Amino acid sequence: MRPVLLACAVALGLLACTLVVPQDGLAHGLVGKQDLPIPRWLFAWGAAVVLVVSFVALAILWPKPRLERESPDGVPLLRLPAVAEPLAGLVGVVLFATVVYAGLAGTQTETANLAPTAIYVLFWVGVPFLSLLFGDIFRALNPWRAVARAVAWVAGRGGGEGLPDPMPYPARAGHWPAAAVILVFTWVELVHGGGSDPSTLALLALGYAALQLVGMSLYGIEPWTRHADGFAVYFSLFASLSPLHWKGTQLRRRRPLVGATRLVALPGTVALLVVMIGTTSFDGFSEGDTWSDLAPDLQRFFVDLGLGQGAALEVAFTFGMLAVVLLVAGLYRLGIQGMRSIGGGVDAAQLGRRFAHTLVPIALAYVVAHYFSLLVYNGQSVGYLASDPLGDGSNLFGTATATIDYDVVGPNGIWYVQVGALVLGHVAGLVLAHERALVLYRRARDATRSQYWMLAVMVGFTSLGLWLLSAQAP
Amino acid sequence: MITLPIAHAGHWLVSLLYLAPVVILVGALLVARARDNRLGDEDEDLDDGVFAEGAFDDDLGPPPRA
Repeated sequence: MRPVLLACAVALGLLACTLVVPQDGLAHGLVGKQDLPIPRWLFAWGAAVVLVVSFVALAILWPKPRLERESPDGVPLLRLPAVAEPLAGLVGVVLFATVVYAGLAGTQTETANLAPTAIYVLFWVGVPFLSLLFGDIFRALNPWRAVARAVAWVAGRGGGEGLPDPMPYPARAGHWPAAAVILVFTWVELVHGGGSDPSTLALLALGYAALQLVGMSLYGIEPWTRHADGFAVYFSLFASLSPLHWKGTQLRRRRPLVGATRLVALPGTVALLVVMIGTTSFDGFSEGDTWSDLAPDLQRFFVDLGLGQGAALEVAFTFGMLAVVLLVAGLYRLGIQGMRSIGGGVDAAQLGRRFAHTLVPIALAYVVAHYFSLLVYNGQSVGYLASDPLGDGSNLFGTATATIDYDVVGPNGIWYVQVGALVLGHVAGLVLAHERALVLYRRARDATRSQYWMLAVMVGFTSLGLWLLSAQAP
Repeated sequence: MITLPIAHAGHWLVSLLYLAPVVILVGALLVARARDNRLGDEDEDLDDGVFAEGAFDDDLGPPPRA
């Protein structure tokens, strides 16, 4: 039998097997809540078709760069009074202090204490959504930056010579510190056994703030914040996709995605984006059946090496997380290597940095897809946690008895948002890659050819995302 | 009790279906590349001129604007 026919026969066989196996049976007896009109895997096929059609449409209908040539400044919408920025900083400091105090002084039951929800839901998931809608609002709310600016302002007014000049931020460090911050934070969230303990989170938050203050005092507030404050960089990347952006206290409007084309890819920028996508992917992967099958074997392996049960599980999860991050890095590298096959002799690292910004919408798509339900459901718990942040029975705002409404969005609605986010994010990635190729390559034909492999990478990321989501779906 | 790998076959089969679009696309790209190689790349002599002038002058920044 010819190889092509054999491959078709195998594919048809797989298809037939899957169609006769009931979906609920695959989910280890979980009661299905989603009622989708077609199997979930067919959404992955549909998404792939959308991406291929988008790619062809870009090649035919988008022959010249538009976003890359547009001014990133946009047009002014409104200007807030100068006092708005220090006020926002004050709000950030108060919120930070409240969360830390709740973590240290409140109950250590994670669902009854404000700190875990505030950090993992409102801060980690909520701020990216807000950044996409309203631009880089965290820059104004950033509590450690606000404290540093206040100290610098006071020192400047105090007479004398003020604070000593900061050292230049080391160019080689680039975004590596930010990548390390995001990796460590997600490790605490997904791997560390006590990652949801309110007091642990509060102490880590204090430690992080202290580290930022030291860094800003050494290298300057803005250079440090733009490069090494992992959360500030993380949120600013998402904000670069927004149609709104802030220039001081002036709010300006520009075309969505334009900000991302101005991303300066430093050493560590690609690593940061890969960590962002990889850790979110692992969050989904670790809740699926494949990891459930694999993790006990890995844990047993490390127990046999002499570790305790808990430590062995943490090491197994650490390996799993790093493996998924490396997988994502490998996928991106594959796209870049494919681009190199067009010729030109540019090394992969250089080309990889030029296309780093195309990963930003993908990272956001993964965040939206994986955490939308968390934000919609668990985000509501801020209603009662705000009134009782310590979990001691207080009712500060009269909302301590509020509950979570699980009917606000149904399971089908969640699924459609997830699929929509993944498809839109990857189409946005394709647009950015196409634009960048048009700028870099001399001829439009080469620009399009160079993106064949990037299209394969985007389809790969989309399929991976949908596979991870389907493994978690009820 | 021994658990046969076939017990999880359902998961793997569905997982393969998610992989199928990527496999099809990569297969198509490989076939296209093989065909190009067989026919010979007419633009091979332009290898050094693939990129626009100054495209990588400032490696760490966005490419220069026109």
